[in-house]
Amino acid sequence: MPPKSKAATKPKATETTTTTNPTTITSQTASQPSEPTTVLERSQQRYEKTRPFEAARRQQGLSKLSKEDQKGWICDQLLHLTNRLPAASRSRLLGPKASKEIWWTINGTNSIVRGLKHKPEPHITWGTDRNGHDVGSYTIERFDERFRKRIALTALQVSSRVFRENVEREKRGFVDARSGREIIVTEREIDEEKVRRSKMAALKKELYGEITGKLAGSVEWEDVVPIPHEEPEGALAAIAYPAEYAEAMSYLRAVMTTKEYSPRCLRLTEHIISMNPAHYTVWLYRAANIFALGLSIPDEIEWLNEVALANLKNYQIWHHRHLLVEHYYPTISSDPDALAQFAKQERDFLIAILSEDTKNYHVWSYRSWLVGKLGMWEDEEELKSIEQLIDEDVRNNSAWSHRFFIVFSNPKYATPGKGATEKDERVPQELVDREVKYAQNKVYLAPQNQSPWNYMRGVLVKGRQHLASVQGFVEEFVVKLGEGEEEEDVKSTHALDLLAEIYAEKWDSDKADLCLRRLAEKWDRIRGGYWEWRRKCLTQTEKEKAVAVGEAEKGGEEVAAA
Amino acid sequence: MVVRTKGVRVRNRAIFIRKFPKTKKGNMAAPNSSFPQEGVATSAQQNLDAITDDDFEYVDEEFVLSHPPQQPAQPEPMIPDLFKQPPLVKDDLITDTSRLQDQTVEHCLPFLTTEDGPLDVNDYGLPKLNREKHIKFLKQSLGPLPGRFVAVDASRPWYLYWCLSGLTMMGEDVSSYRESVIETARTMQNESGGFGGGHGQTSHLATTYAVILAIALVGGEEAYDVIDRKAMWKWLCSLKQPDGGFQVCVGGEEDIRGAYIAAVIITLLDLPLDLTPDSPAYDGRSNLLTGIAEYVRSCQTFEGGISSQPNNEAHGAYAFCALACLAILDNPRRIIPSYLDVPRLVSWLSYRQYAPEGGFSGRTNKLVDGCYSHWAGGCFPLIEACLSPSGSGSEKDKTSTGLAAAPESLYSREGLIRYILCCCQDQTKRGGLRDKPYKMSDPYHTNYVLSGLSSAQHQWDLDSDPLPLSNGDTTPTLAVLGADSVWNVFPYIDEKDQIYEDSDRVRPIHPAYAIPQKNVNGIRGYFQGHSGFAST
Repeated sequence: MPPKSKAATKPKATETTTTTNPTTITSQTASQPSEPTTVLERSQQRYEKTRPFEAARRQQGLSKLSKEDQKGWICDQLLHLTNRLPAASRSRLLGPKASKEIWWTINGTNSIVRGLKHKPEPHITWGTDRNGHDVGSYTIERFDERFRKRIALTALQVSSRVFRENVEREKRGFVDARSGREIIVTEREIDEEKVRRSKMAALKKELYGEITGKLAGSVEWEDVVPIPHEEPEGALAAIAYPAEYAEAMSYLRAVMTTKEYSPRCLRLTEHIISMNPAHYTVWLYRAANIFALGLSIPDEIEWLNEVALANLKNYQIWHHRHLLVEHYYPTISSDPDALAQFAKQERDFLIAILSEDTKNYHVWSYRSWLVGKLGMWEDEEELKSIEQLIDEDVRNNSAWSHRFFIVFSNPKYATPGKGATEKDERVPQELVDREVKYAQNKVYLAPQNQSPWNYMRGVLVKGRQHLASVQGFVEEFVVKLGEGEEEEDVKSTHALDLLAEIYAEKWDSDKADLCLRRLAEKWDRIRGGYWEWRRKCLTQTEKEKAVAVGEAEKGGEEVAAA
Repeated sequence: MVVRTKGVRVRNRAIFIRKFPKTKKGNMAAPNSSFPQEGVATSAQQNLDAITDDDFEYVDEEFVLSHPPQQPAQPEPMIPDLFKQPPLVKDDLITDTSRLQDQTVEHCLPFLTTEDGPLDVNDYGLPKLNREKHIKFLKQSLGPLPGRFVAVDASRPWYLYWCLSGLTMMGEDVSSYRESVIETARTMQNESGGFGGGHGQTSHLATTYAVILAIALVGGEEAYDVIDRKAMWKWLCSLKQPDGGFQVCVGGEEDIRGAYIAAVIITLLDLPLDLTPDSPAYDGRSNLLTGIAEYVRSCQTFEGGISSQPNNEAHGAYAFCALACLAILDNPRRIIPSYLDVPRLVSWLSYRQYAPEGGFSGRTNKLVDGCYSHWAGGCFPLIEACLSPSGSGSEKDKTSTGLAAAPESLYSREGLIRYILCCCQDQTKRGGLRDKPYKMSDPYHTNYVLSGLSSAQHQWDLDSDPLPLSNGDTTPTLAVLGADSVWNVFPYIDEKDQIYEDSDRVRPIHPAYAIPQKNVNGIRGYFQGHSGFAST
């Protein structure tokens, strides 16, 4: 290749002096800039100082520049183009020879190579502050102030790193070579570090709007490397986690991975539960911590009571309590007084929470489990407290269900393994009578309330009674059935339903059918399909009855024939 | 031709004209050509445009007589009294329960009677299913979600299932979410098997169920392959309890959800049934399915319904889990009556429906809630299958239970559909479906209300009779028989008029797996094709 460089350098000497085109504004004629007011302005001025053609180019465009300035501009572009390339590809792209030539050319012009490389741009060059403002728009004084703070932060960070290094060394039993002593981190140093951390957090927040998490800033969590939430972009139902929650979760992941059980983990679970009480993972981990550390169960239960009252609809709380009691029970099971005392405490709390939310499914589930666990079957207080709830609201079906459980699942007489809708030979008769009476008294209060009807029916079946044994009672709620629209009155559709069953039980299909028909036609039309099915079932049993009777007669004839 | 006794609305005219298209010669077309032929306007709207005065020459006499043209066409919508008035039998005693119940009726009635509704309703007083808004609501719920959603951080897999399932039922193609479901599910899976609520959360049966169903909904081998089946199987073994049930997570509670979900996972992924020796239920004889049905039985209560765990109160959500679980284990005709007191169960289920609201409640003396459209309403296809006739001829009405065959509808489909369309739709620009009027819509209710709507609009026919069991077993222990049951689904056609528009029919889902049959087949077929892994 011929050395073009010569050709390129030659005109330089001539043209520097001959540019006299009147329409061309040269760098020399551009007006002198005024004193800069902002950082951006200052750096823009500095940038232009090394590029005398820049102001002219901005105003007039490239074509209006003098030849010399144009060349300067080209060289500037070349310079920065090659600078922008990574070093490796720079030589590959151009080759050593071409590179050399470029530098030759650049040197030939009077380009100032050591100027600001990039044109100062708002937001980009100086970045933005915590409020999203361009730092470049700061006044010089304000910028200097910010700069000092940054230096202060860096200094703090260096000291903090030294401290952390020492903590590490202390752990490893590192001996200082000079003093020959083991490194010990003193209380004072820890206190100093705490002060340093809070200063750092304040500075980070002020400078960058960066909120240092409670944990990342605390000395206590020093040794834990948090595992941040990992999720690809575009993950579904992704939540923009509040910083505090995200941080706590990343520490939780870390300590769960290392299976750490410690007081600080316990505090971490409390912290997360306060932000998201429905987090089953945290609850399970909390229980594991309590058991591993052998902490006091009554203390935990006391803490839990408050959390439960503040989160009535929470589910996890009740399983946690279940685990606690499972763990605690063996320590008191041999002491009847302690057991009774504990049972009372638990009941008192359950009464309190059920007064807030009378049908809370999780609370009732826990309660029935507790009765079985602590053997509260014979506990009169338990039955009394249920009766009180039923007195307050006779329609509280949860209370009725619990009553059925404590009365009919008592292991003293209940046959194990019996289904709830199966009869049980061993249930005492007086209990059955008592419960039927109880339900009937409650029916009188509000005959259309289904709870005591279901209860009574359940009791009759369990106690192997014919449904017909309550026919008189049931008929009180059904007046002149089928005797005309004017005459007929039904005080309870549940009575009519049960009456149909009673008639069916007595093989009186016509009357049973009438009850079902009236339910379908008038008294309970929403269940039309169901009543229709019940009527079909009646015909089915009719047929079976006919077959049974027929077979019996046939059998009789055969016997006679024999 | 059905003739209304009161008033006439544009829609009827359109149908009328569609039934008797004008021929070129001006003669009446054959009345049995009930659908428009080539070139005849196909949609109701086009028909409306096509109506001219001339068209009325085809109106039959009765129609004209009962609808003099000079009468302004502003008819009273046809809403049965049942859904317009408080119940006939009502007590005077006021308690907290009755106060809430009365208030709910008071809140629902204006919606049911469309009293002060600015809404467009059809002749039967029903607004349309606002698909567009509900679709938008579900798509938005797939995120990104703002910070206050931290409360559902452990339920994010549910969001995937609820939203994708709801969209599927409304006819959306969700396969475009495949990539994101795969990516999201990966971060939720744990090496020790199963899926948690999110990155670093403990595996839980509920979240695993939701993830697997979401994967089945988007379909595709790439998606199925996300699931680590071997780890899943080991994890399920660690949850299996000696009494037959399943814990929901290691150290978690044991309840009937666990039993249902385990049955779903085992069958959808075609997992081996053997137990690992470190399973709490390992005894050398039992397998993953042993005792599940017995566990379900122990959850039936004296009321006839099903509770979460033995000895609790009967609750709608658990009734669905119980029935669906049994229907997966074996043919519902055989297994449901073998383990549950069917007459009591049907009674309790039927009582879950209230009038005038029309919707279902979850427990005795509790309020209606849209989600029980699925939990309680969704029990009916399973119960109806259990009560479907097994014989033929004179035995036509007989079922394996010895009870009568179920009628076409054991419950009031009309009531449920009214409750859903009138009370459960959020008609503001938010969209979505809800528990009841004045509650916020959410993806949970949106999905389960739609599931309920779907089951009210379809009927199922269980094709197969129970297969014989080997060796006199009473329960299937070596093979899952219910999962193979063939469920044929048909649109439910009411003998009377259909109260909702045909365009408001949503897609059917499998009565036990709660996703479309095609998706059940897709994922089961894929894993059945894999000989799998050595379980020992």
